[in-house]
Amino acid sequence: MMCEFLKTCCTDPMKIIGEWLVLLPAIVLLLAAAASVVMRNLIHAALCLTLSFIALGIVFIALGAEFVGFVQLLVYVGAVAMILVFAILLTRPEQLTKSGTLFSGLGPAGGALAGFASLVVLLAFIFTSPVAKKPLPAPVSAPVAAIGEALMGDYVVALLLIGVLLTAALVGAAVLAMEDKKP
Amino acid sequence: MTLQILLAISAILFAFGLTAVLSRSNAIMILIGIELMLGAANLNFLAFWRFSENPAALVGVLFAIFSIAIAAAEAAVGLAIIILVHRKARSVEVDDTNQLKG
Amino acid sequence: MITLLERAPIEIKTWFLNLLGSFGVPEWILAVLSAGIIIGTIIGVFLGLFALMSVMERKILARAQNRYGPNRVGPFGLFQPVADGIKMITKEDLVPRTADKIVHFLAPVTMMIPALMVLAILPYGRDMVPAELDSGILYFFAVGAGTEVAVFMAGWSSNNKYSVLGAMRAIAQMISYELPLVISAIVTAMIAGSLSPSAIVAAQGGFALGFVPQWFALTPWGFAAGLIFYIGALAESNRSPFDLPEGESELVAGHLTEYSGFKYATFFMAEYVGMFAVCGLFVTLFLGGWQAPLPFLEIIPSWCWFIGKICFVAFTMVWVRATLPRLRIDHMLGFAWKFLLPMSFAAFLSAACWHYAGRGPLAWLLSLAIVGIPYLILGTSFTKRFAVSRRTYRFSE
Repeated sequence: MMCEFLKTCCTDPMKIIGEWLVLLPAIVLLLAAAASVVMRNLIHAALCLTLSFIALGIVFIALGAEFVGFVQLLVYVGAVAMILVFAILLTRPEQLTKSGTLFSGLGPAGGALAGFASLVVLLAFIFTSPVAKKPLPAPVSAPVAAIGEALMGDYVVALLLIGVLLTAALVGAAVLAMEDKKP
Repeated sequence: MTLQILLAISAILFAFGLTAVLSRSNAIMILIGIELMLGAANLNFLAFWRFSENPAALVGVLFAIFSIAIAAAEAAVGLAIIILVHRKARSVEVDDTNQLKG
Repeated sequence: MITLLERAPIEIKTWFLNLLGSFGVPEWILAVLSAGIIIGTIIGVFLGLFALMSVMERKILARAQNRYGPNRVGPFGLFQPVADGIKMITKEDLVPRTADKIVHFLAPVTMMIPALMVLAILPYGRDMVPAELDSGILYFFAVGAGTEVAVFMAGWSSNNKYSVLGAMRAIAQMISYELPLVISAIVTAMIAGSLSPSAIVAAQGGFALGFVPQWFALTPWGFAAGLIFYIGALAESNRSPFDLPEGESELVAGHLTEYSGFKYATFFMAEYVGMFAVCGLFVTLFLGGWQAPLPFLEIIPSWCWFIGKICFVAFTMVWVRATLPRLRIDHMLGFAWKFLLPMSFAAFLSAACWHYAGRGPLAWLLSLAIVGIPYLILGTSFTKRFAVSRRTYRFSE
C-alpha cells in the first residue's frame, strides 16, 4: 500500500492532496474537540473549540460546499466562539466553586460510557448499512448563485422563518441579559 | 475517502459532544458539547450531499446553512440564560441550580 | 506597448515557468511554483507598502500638525522603517511570568494569518486575481473573523485586567461594525449579481456619457454604502477615530499592553496589512477596482491604478486620523447600532429601488430620496442630545 501511495504521489499528487485535504482537517477537528471536552480551564476549552470550528469549516470547504464552509467560519468562529468567550469572562468561574467538581452528577466515567455506547451504536449502523456503501462521485460544487436561487425560490418560507427566529433570538437574548433597572 | 469514513468522523465528534454534555458540570461546557453535536450533524448532512446522486438539488447544503443559523440563535439565547442564572445564583454549575429538584 | 506594460507581471511569470518547463520540471511543481510566485509578489508588495506607510503616516500626521515628521534617517526620513525594524527585532521579548505562554505566543501569529490570507481575492489588475473564488466577498469576511479571535487571545493571555478590558472593548467594536460593513458590501454584490470581486469590478466598467465612470461610489446608494463601508473599515482595523482599544491615553495599549519587540511588530504589521486589505476591498467594491476613471487614462496599466487607488484611500484614512478625535466606547457602539446599521439598510433598499426603477433619472432621484431622508432623520435625532444650550453665567453675589 505504501508503494502505491508513493506511486500516486509522483504521477497524480492532486488525488492524494484531494483526499488528505478532507482527512487532515478532520483529524485536527477530532483532536481539538477531544481537547476541548476534557480541559479544566474554560478559556482553553473555548479556544480549542474555536480551533475545531475552523477545522470543521475547512472540511466543509474541502467537501465542495464552499459557501457553507465560509458561513461556518464567519458565524461560528466570528460570532458563536466570541459570545462563548464573552460569557466565560462575564461569569468568571473562579477555580472550582462551591460544588467543587469539574464533573456533574453522572461523573466522568458515566459520561464517557454514554458517549462510547452511542459511538458504538452509530459505528455499527454506519459500517453495516448498505446506504453508506457508495462510491465517490465526481467533485461537486455548490455555486453561490444556485444557493441564492434555491433560498429565494423553493426554500423562501424557511428563509423567512429563520429571519423571524433570529430576530426573536436577538431580542430575547438582549432582554434576558440586560441589567435590571433599579426602580 | 468513502462515505463511511466521513460518517465515522461525524459519529466520533457527536460522541465527544455527548460526553461533554453528560459529564461536565459547568453550564458553558455543556453548551460547548451541544455546539459540537450540532457541528457533527452538519458534517453528516454535507457528507450525504457530497455522495448523493443529485447534488445540484443542494438539499444538504441548505439544511446545513439553516442548521448553522439555528445553532447561532440557540447559543446566543442559551448564553444569555446562563448569564442571568449567574447573576441570580452566583454560580453556573448545574449542580448548584437544583432548587426545583423534587 | 500599452498592453505589454499592462500584462507585464503575467507575461514575466509565464515566461519563467515556460523556461522551467522546458528543462523538464513536472507539471505539478510548475503549478505550485506559479502559486508561490504570486504569493511572494503580493506579500512583498504589501510588506513594502507597510514599511512605506509606517513612515508616510507619521509624516502626514506631522504635516497636519504643522511639524516635520521623522526626517533623520535617510532622505526625507524614508529609511525610518529600517531603523524601526532594527529596534523591534533587537528589543527584549518580555512575557509576563503569570501569562499563558502558548496563547501569548500564538496571538500575533493568529492575527497575521487572516490579514495576509484576505489579500488572495482582490483583483489587482485585468485578469490578475490570485484566487478566483465564487464567493470571494464572503471569504474576505469569513477569514477576517479570525482577527477577533486573535485580539481576544492577546488580551486574555496577558493576565492583565487592562488587557482583558481592552480586548473585550476591541471585540465588541469589531463585531458591532462588522454588520454595517458586510451589509454595505452585500449591496454592491446585489447590484453586480455575484459575490466574486472580479464580477463586481466588471459591473463597474464602461463609461456613461462617454467619459463618466460607472463606479458604484458615484451613485447615491453607492456613496452611502461606500461611506458606511469606509467607516466600518476604519473601525475594523482599530484606526482612529475608533482606536480606543489601543489608545495610549486610555488603556495603556489595550490588548497589546504586554507585547514588546518582535511580537508587537507583528501585531503592528498585521494591523497595517489588514488596513491595506480592507482599503483594497473598498477600492474593488466602490471605486471600480483596477479601472481608470477616464477613457484616455487607460494607458496607465491596471495594476498601477489599483495600487494608486489603495494608496489614495490609505492617505484619506491617515487624514481622518489627523483630523477627528477619538470616540468614547459607548458613543462608538451607539453610532454603529443606531446610525450605521439603519443607514446600511436604507442603502440596501435604495440600491434595490434604483435597480428596479430602471436605472434612469427617476431611479436616481428615488434612490437619493431613500438614502437622504433616513440620513436627515437619524442624523438630527442624535445630535439633539448634545446640542449646546445657551450659556448662562452665574456669579456669586
